Amino acid sequence: MPARSLQRFAPWLWLTPAAALLIPFFVIPLLLTFRNSFYSDDPMGMLIPGFTLANYSKIVRDPYYLGVFENTVWAALLVCLVSIVMSYPLSWVLARAKGSGRAFLLWTVYLPIYVSVIMRVFGWIFLLSDGGLFNQALIHLGATTHPLQMMNSFPGMMVGLVHRYLPLMVLPLATSLRKIDDAILRAATGLGGNRWFVWSRIVFPMSLPGAVVGLQLVFAGVLSDYVIPSLMGSPHFQMLAPAIYYEGITNASWALSGAIASAVIAIVALFLLSANLLVRRVAPWASL
Amino acid sequence: MTRDDISFQTSRSLPARFAAAVVVLFLSGPIAIAAVIAFSSGDRLEFPIPGFSLRWFAVALTKQQYIDGLRASVIIGLANALLATLAGTGAAIAIHRYRFRGRAFLQAFVMLPVALPAIVLGLGLLYALSSYNMRPGLLAATLGHAVIGVPYVFAMVSAALANYDNSLERASLGLGASPIRTFLLVTFPLIRDGVIAGGITSFLFSFDNFSLSLFVTRGDTLPLRLMQQLLSYADPSIAAISTILILLPLGGMLFLLPRIVRGRI
Repeated sequence: MPARSLQRFAPWLWLTPAAALLIPFFVIPLLLTFRNSFYSDDPMGMLIPGFTLANYSKIVRDPYYLGVFENTVWAALLVCLVSIVMSYPLSWVLARAKGSGRAFLLWTVYLPIYVSVIMRVFGWIFLLSDGGLFNQALIHLGATTHPLQMMNSFPGMMVGLVHRYLPLMVLPLATSLRKIDDAILRAATGLGGNRWFVWSRIVFPMSLPGAVVGLQLVFAGVLSDYVIPSLMGSPHFQMLAPAIYYEGITNASWALSGAIASAVIAIVALFLLSANLLVRRVAPWASL
Repeated sequence: MTRDDISFQTSRSLPARFAAAVVVLFLSGPIAIAAVIAFSSGDRLEFPIPGFSLRWFAVALTKQQYIDGLRASVIIGLANALLATLAGTGAAIAIHRYRFRGRAFLQAFVMLPVALPAIVLGLGLLYALSSYNMRPGLLAATLGHAVIGVPYVFAMVSAALANYDNSLERASLGLGASPIRTFLLVTFPLIRDGVIAGGITSFLFSFDNFSLSLFVTRGDTLPLRLMQQLLSYADPSIAAISTILILLPLGGMLFLLPRIVRGRI
């Protein structure tokens, strides 16, 4: 029967466009990155086939590359921490809101996701630059005589990164918090649990799956962010994405950049894996 | 759902609401200020603005570099949305409508581009393009951006597919409609919202992409041009062009948000 044989091939037929796109432009680029990391660069910018671990030993030994990795992981963890703390109140109110209040809050969370990052940075330049609104206010109030340097500094970059990635934490967290039935919370309070008990024994554990998804999105986002470090960051605090761009394009060191990129994949994989393991350990009911 | 009848007390607790309001202000303040400055009549960045005018919109819309960038970004965005929608929808239908070996693996695989740092994929594409003898440009950027769009389309179409009963399809096939007719008249209308939402999302993400565009374009998309401009000098024309560009996300969100609020996608 033709219908039956069609039925067997149908899923593969539906998968063809995805395969035609993802194999040459996703799988092969990753394989090439991994392969290049074992090749070597010659001074003319040519890639020399071979097998060497020299690129990896360079990124582990050279203080410059080691510093770039340290800076970026440190910044990513800090952004994760700040955004999870900032997310809980908003996610909680968002999860419990209804009707127009909920619609309004969803707009304020989704708008920054869809508005160009350029416009957001523009807003921050206006607020944080030497002649910006905050410095004017500080000088006017007599809190300082010289403008504080906030743009192109580590704190300025942190503000920009948190602003960019906070919505990615708020949304999964709100989804988790919304699943908590009010009846459970009423029961806990009714049976004499105080606020801290309800928060630490019910709300926080039940929100963990969303929090972990949020952490993963924020961490991976910061690791590959080029715009915010270039526009708001300090020239003395090198981040990974600009460093990869510099090695790959400006320096044409394809082997070295391949090794850096492979190390980034390893870091992200390690983070995803350990976050999942941790959740499975401390909150087995929430395993993803 | 009746859980809304009596809201739990802490949802009304003042500290939580106050903290949430501060975070909302943090999220929307810089965007609102940038939008106001776009209408400034002044020569430089100042707030409050000296007066309302559309002069910076006129400046923005006559800058050749912005217009060229806008054209490149729109072409890449639309073509990318088409490709990503086709690939993502196909994959979602294959995985949710059929039972075959390797389904779970394929599902994880299709979602993988979300987890991969975009800068790594960009670098990999730089290597791959040179082995394919392709140059960075509109085509390369379209294909690269579409890879990132696939998981979003896949997730949204999957959500739409999960919401309906596939006995409708079986009824259509059983009553003698061809598979193609069944898809066009039964399946597609049911998942249309998910498909459109996925397409809009991948357009918007492509429209604001940096990490891939750095490697697969010649620096001529609008975001990259605006970034160059911001690195040298921030004048209100950047706010003006960004405000014009907000209209695109707003249009998209008018479609997406009511469906998100209702939990459909």
